[in-house]
Amino acid sequence: MTAPATPRRSATAWARHHLFRTVGDSVLTVVATVILGYVVYRFANFVLVTGRWEIVRANLSLFMVGLYDRDELWRPALALIVAGALGGLVAGVVHRRQSDAGAIDEVAPAERLRDLASRLWPAIIGVLTLLMLAQTITPWLIVGATLVAAVVMRLVGRLLPRRALGPVVTLVLVTPFVMVWLMAQGTGWDEWGGLTLNLFLAALSIVLCFPLGVLLALGRRAKLPLIRAVSTGYIELFRGVPLIVLLFMVNNTLQFFVPDRFAPSSVVRAIVVFTLFTAAYVAEIVRGGLQSVPRGQVEAGQALGMSPVRITVLIVLPQALRNVIPALVGQFISLFKDTTLAGAAMGFLELLRTAEAVTSFPDFSGQGLIAETLVFVTFVFWVGSYTMSRESQRLEKKLGVGTR
Amino acid sequence: MSEDVFADATQVAGTGEVMIELEGVDKFFDDFQALRDINLRIGRQEVVVVIGPSGSGKSTMIRCINRLEEHDAGRIVVDGTTLSDDIRNIQEIRRETGMVFQQFNLFPHLTVLDNITLAPRKVRKLPKAEADQLGRDLLEQVKIPEQAEKFPGQLSGGQQQRVAIARSLAMRPKVMLFDEPTSALDPEMINEVLETMKDLATEGMTMIVVTHEMGFAREVADRVVFMADGQIVEVGTPEHFFTDPSEPRTQEFLSQIL
Repeated sequence: MTAPATPRRSATAWARHHLFRTVGDSVLTVVATVILGYVVYRFANFVLVTGRWEIVRANLSLFMVGLYDRDELWRPALALIVAGALGGLVAGVVHRRQSDAGAIDEVAPAERLRDLASRLWPAIIGVLTLLMLAQTITPWLIVGATLVAAVVMRLVGRLLPRRALGPVVTLVLVTPFVMVWLMAQGTGWDEWGGLTLNLFLAALSIVLCFPLGVLLALGRRAKLPLIRAVSTGYIELFRGVPLIVLLFMVNNTLQFFVPDRFAPSSVVRAIVVFTLFTAAYVAEIVRGGLQSVPRGQVEAGQALGMSPVRITVLIVLPQALRNVIPALVGQFISLFKDTTLAGAAMGFLELLRTAEAVTSFPDFSGQGLIAETLVFVTFVFWVGSYTMSRESQRLEKKLGVGTR
Repeated sequence: MSEDVFADATQVAGTGEVMIELEGVDKFFDDFQALRDINLRIGRQEVVVVIGPSGSGKSTMIRCINRLEEHDAGRIVVDGTTLSDDIRNIQEIRRETGMVFQQFNLFPHLTVLDNITLAPRKVRKLPKAEADQLGRDLLEQVKIPEQAEKFPGQLSGGQQQRVAIARSLAMRPKVMLFDEPTSALDPEMINEVLETMKDLATEGMTMIVVTHEMGFAREVADRVVFMADGQIVEVGTPEHFFTDPSEPRTQEFLSQIL
């Protein structure tokens, strides 16, 4: 061990330097500490002592799956387990490819667990909280089965040969749709609710809006004036309208434009709105990314005799998208949170409206328990959003943004 | 263009067979005329070095040959194919002409090997195994076989430029265009790139090199082209050029840099 370059200062010295350097500093420190301490105390007191969490406990399944047919709950449970398995499979394949390329060092399982915990702690805390609120053993079993499926499939993924990549990609693309179909067989998606609905709306809209947004971004830079005008018009139209107004419109005024017979169900309408709306924002983000790729990259591709499409797909887009991961994920997080607007504007019983609805149930009505349910919903959204944010930062690092 | 210069510019060295022909080429950037009545022939296996002050149109001229810039008048013929507006024709010519840029322009998201094999695989439809073998052979040729799996950002400037040369060679071009290949390099890395280019010249590659490296011009060039203000001012062998230049503009330029 070598001695540290700068000697560690004692805690008192540190505090004096950073917190009590001048009279003004000292006053600020004391006042801020008191206010912060009071707020934290009140909040902790609420969460741990006075909060009546039985309202969440009793209605947990409503928060999670809404009015999904209680006899068919094996379907969402199976979907969750399959999602875990898929995640594990992808992680395994990625791991295999990276270790083949010599990009990662093998580490001991204990260390791997510690890495995973420090990476996913918000999600872990979230799931544990939900499990603590559960009143039966079943949720524990489902989460356990999901974890087992993930671990097993990760091992499988590591053992798969390179040429299995094609089938794996197909599987990853197809399975989610199969799972949605499977779940819709139990209860039609117009009856879905709770967190399931928020996740479904967000996930499907993200998957659909991303390619549309990329096409719009490319369209806005196209040589043909017509394509450029259409793309620009679309983007500016949708960016100029509040999302909630669009949701109200498809809910209330669609019959003026589309005969009832052809009018899609409300979940489909919501997904269409989220997709079209977010695509406009994704397009602007991607356009920024496209502009960040130096002209020389295109010229290098041209000089090699590559076609404009190949240059875009193989050279420009990968670099452009890599540069805008943070902004893209930010947009997707917004979308996830904005799914609550669909509840407000279209009457879905998603997470936020469930929080409101349960307070008027006979057992709890008139007891002012809205704080408990809102804090719970806030927590669930925070876990989801923060996990996405952290994973995007990790992806960014992995893809080496900022290293040219 | 005077008749003497025209004669020098169109009298090719090398095998005597004409590989590239520019005939009365003009190029405008808005109102600014970047090229004025360029006439030049380059023979098969000939090495032509283009020198001149900055802004004289050297880069623009070679960038017109593979249509990175569009010329406004005149005719450009590469190995018997006349450059037209048809994108297929342009891509045809680009496949036959390799280009090395001042800023390397390697693809930062791909490994060195993938940088080299991308175009052969996607344009020439070479199977992956074959392309990889080709890539490794080329890396051997530019003397950095051990860097195949790295990313461009992890390499020195000289190494990056050698990868860029290998990437161009992977398309098996008939002509190589070099656009100031050593101008962005640290001094100690210039030689490794010039050596690679000399090897290429020795193997009989047809080359047009825009450069400020007079040593390279003297040693390797069959002919030296001097450009100023968008015109070809003088063309000659290195001996003629560096010992007894005839045009006052050339003499002035050489006196400034030598």
